[in-house]
Amino acid sequence: MSAPAPKNVRVRAYDVGFGDSFLLSFEYGKALEDGRSKRHVLIDFGSVRWPKPKHATYPEIADDIAEQTEGQLDVVVLTHRHRDHLGGYGDKKAAATIAALKPRLVIRPWTEDPKLAADAKGPAGVGATSRRFAASLHEGQKFAEDIHRSLRGQRGFQGALAAEAEHQIPNHDAIEALDALANDAALGGRYLYAGQESGIEEAIPGIGVKVLGPPTPDQWPEVTGERDDDPEFWIRRRGLLNHMLSEAKKGEPVQGRGIVDGGEKAPPGPARWLIERMRSQQSHSLMRLVETLEDAMNNTSVILLFEVGNRRLLFPGDAQIENWSYVLKSGKAGNLGDKLADVDLYKVGHHGSRNATPRSLVKTWEGQKRKLTSVVSTLPDVFGKSEATAVPRITLMAALSKLGTLERTDELPSGSLYLELSGSTSDRTGYSVTNGNRP
Amino acid sequence: MNSGTATRAPEPVRQLTELRVIAQDPSVRVRGRVLTETIRIPAEHLEPGPRGARFYVLDYDTATGRLQPPASIATDGKDRFAHTPTDTLLRSPAFRAQNVYAIAASTLAAAEAALGRRLAWGFDGHQLYLVPHAFPEANAYYAPEDGAIYFGYVTGGKEEVQTSLSFDIVAHETAHAILDGLRPRFATPSLPDQPAFHEALADCVALLSVFSLEAVVGNLLGKPNGDGKLAPAKLTEKALGETALFALAEQLGLEGERGSGLRRSIGLEPSRAWRRLREFEEPHRRGEVFVAAVMQTMLKMWAERLVAITSSSGADRSRVVEEGSTAAAHLLQMLLRGIDYMPPLELEFEDVLDAVLTADEVVAPDDRHGYRAALKSRFAAFGIARPKGRIVDVTRGPEPVYERMNFAILRSDRDEVERFLWENAEVLGIERAWQTRVQFVRPSVRIGPDGLVVSEVVADYVQRLQLEAREAKKMGVKIPKEVKGTTALELWGGGVVVFDQFGRAKLHQRKPLSDWKRQSRRLAYLAGHGLSDTKGRLGFTLSTPRGQRFAALHVENMRAAEDW
Repeated sequence: MSAPAPKNVRVRAYDVGFGDSFLLSFEYGKALEDGRSKRHVLIDFGSVRWPKPKHATYPEIADDIAEQTEGQLDVVVLTHRHRDHLGGYGDKKAAATIAALKPRLVIRPWTEDPKLAADAKGPAGVGATSRRFAASLHEGQKFAEDIHRSLRGQRGFQGALAAEAEHQIPNHDAIEALDALANDAALGGRYLYAGQESGIEEAIPGIGVKVLGPPTPDQWPEVTGERDDDPEFWIRRRGLLNHMLSEAKKGEPVQGRGIVDGGEKAPPGPARWLIERMRSQQSHSLMRLVETLEDAMNNTSVILLFEVGNRRLLFPGDAQIENWSYVLKSGKAGNLGDKLADVDLYKVGHHGSRNATPRSLVKTWEGQKRKLTSVVSTLPDVFGKSEATAVPRITLMAALSKLGTLERTDELPSGSLYLELSGSTSDRTGYSVTNGNRP
Repeated sequence: MNSGTATRAPEPVRQLTELRVIAQDPSVRVRGRVLTETIRIPAEHLEPGPRGARFYVLDYDTATGRLQPPASIATDGKDRFAHTPTDTLLRSPAFRAQNVYAIAASTLAAAEAALGRRLAWGFDGHQLYLVPHAFPEANAYYAPEDGAIYFGYVTGGKEEVQTSLSFDIVAHETAHAILDGLRPRFATPSLPDQPAFHEALADCVALLSVFSLEAVVGNLLGKPNGDGKLAPAKLTEKALGETALFALAEQLGLEGERGSGLRRSIGLEPSRAWRRLREFEEPHRRGEVFVAAVMQTMLKMWAERLVAITSSSGADRSRVVEEGSTAAAHLLQMLLRGIDYMPPLELEFEDVLDAVLTADEVVAPDDRHGYRAALKSRFAAFGIARPKGRIVDVTRGPEPVYERMNFAILRSDRDEVERFLWENAEVLGIERAWQTRVQFVRPSVRIGPDGLVVSEVVADYVQRLQLEAREAKKMGVKIPKEVKGTTALELWGGGVVVFDQFGRAKLHQRKPLSDWKRQSRRLAYLAGHGLSDTKGRLGFTLSTPRGQRFAALHVENMRAAEDW
């Protein structure tokens, strides 16, 4: 007797504004051994900016997840540690609702593994360079916390810097909630990097899941965004962050610091003028550092490729080009990326930003017979003032539309709860799309 | 009266100051010692800082809030660091002030010598601030809005890495500031060659300037044999490239914390393929093509100069170094001289080649050493050829009307040049339909091969047109699909008119506004790279401060081929 396989796959994209919250439901033709006929994966649960004027709330979304899953969630995936992907777990009511669904498996990126910090010997595939990298991310987050604390409430560019820094700060309540979920999960918690077994197949029979990313710096040094022949670079960057951190702790950090020259102010004149000007340069310098951290965090995103019958669903979190390059270009990833050309549903990376959907990935989809369905969870005008930095990026949206259909949460009527895509697993002809309203 | 004083011959006023600087980078050591070199710069009255007529060193650190006391250097014309141990130099804030001042002054002096005049900065002020320890970031950049160059530093390793102690970084940033003064419109959003050239010229200035440090080049060439010679096999174009040039670029690229651009430039195989590749639309990457063509020209010039001094046993290493330094200095001069003949905006690499060759033809008509031929062939290998008809010899066409001009003020007055352009629009092929503005009228005095003075006046003008995309479409501009018909566009054109010593127009470099093919390419590039301002307009000045754009350029961009 062949193993049961899902007949239908359903993807519910909750309208969280700027953030991600996706519920994947695999529907079987008949009940499985435990009497249930569905299996569910929740990929991310967070937002940093909700749509206006009306929007759903975390508890409402959690309630809908509870209803859809009929009280049992199988897998929780946190692609990476940004607020727009985990903020919902920081809401006590919503977190309690999710906890009550007793997910059986909790997946997070390798950088979240508590064992990394505990001893010098991490998991296989994670060498000393990777461990230092993971540690430096945590240092970077502390640094971001200091910037946020110093600039909170400021306007203009410094306010934007504070907001960007806040985005990097771990939400401790959310992390604790996820830790608790993992502790209670029957199949435990897994901390993944490229090429590992996901463990999802154990919870969801009849499907295949490939972990395409993130590579560790030991697997692919370029994932740190720097030169592949200089693994020390990131460590120096970490030293830099530490330095800034220690300077920031010495006194009034970043803002409002006096001009010091043996305790004297710089005399009136050109020197004082330039020193005042340099404050703005410093803010930009800090912004570049925070953006480096933002990219590094995004690049820890778990990239999952689901294979269900004839369907291939790709969920890359916010993985940036450096993460993607391992599977697309490194030549070290074996056959991991073989099925990428067959993808028929793509969760657009990083809310449609310019750096998260490599052109070479899009190229593999050009000229394919079947149409690609792309779904993007986004909200315009949150990040980027000019078109070059705007999210979602118009040129990318246009390119994806040309390959098939593009579904956008920001085009839902105000106050919508979700948009849903549903498709038979024996089919390759697009998905039926429906909208769901708030109760 | 003191009769002794009265009879003494007057002492000549000191014209040069000799100052010690770090040759290359503190990380490059020979037998454990940092290489230093003493360079000569124009003497001037220096206030503590140092502060001179053109530079103001201010050592303020934004991270610590510490303002170092102004450094007094060469107050009596003597170098206070002449004999200081190098380890002490690296720790001395006063020395890093001297280092940035001396290298920046030397770079400016080279440019002024090439162009035959004092060069103004691109901002309102006579002093460029140099901030040698500005912030803890692996970056250094020119910020025109502050009239400053900021040098970052990195801590965390065994030693602090200070970008202000890297010869190439200081020269590179100073070159940005110099070019900005000469061609401020190069910051206007335009074709990708234009920002690429800003980076490329700065790299060429840095690389070719480092070549003038003979201790560095000698060291890179390797040990000579017993009689001080290098074997002939080490003196071919290929061997020189592999040893000296590659080693130099590698050290600059790696230790400068500025990515591997220079190293990659030298290694670029001549090919035309870059024009089709998206990654070469990113300014820094694109600039590497230009740097490669220039440095490969440098190699050819150097190798050919060595033929005359090489015997079967090789050539004296010191002479090899000297010839390299001469070739680099000459090529640098050719490049800098060409800037006057470049269009004020809408620059393409072809225009640069055209300008450099034309400017050289004016002062050295016969190309005795084959330098222009070398330059042309190396650029041709990258698919960059001299364009036809962009620089027009005005003396060979219909005679412009001078009768209504005042020659005396035509040499210096923008409005009189405006009148000249208006009166002679047909002769010069300038369209009166567009708003035209003369930006600069500048004198240029250079020495020709006969030892006589070549005196010119160079005037550049720009033309501007603001309209909607749908209106541009009717004129013949191809509008990219993603650009809405109502999108506001700003189109630019312009040119340079060169007047001879009698005030007669002799050359006209032109980039007509109504070159709709070029405008279409520009628009496709701007739209394809999202280079709109905050109002979604294309071709207008971007809202990001220019200093921040320079800063962002220096951050290695590995995404150029893959992003949207």
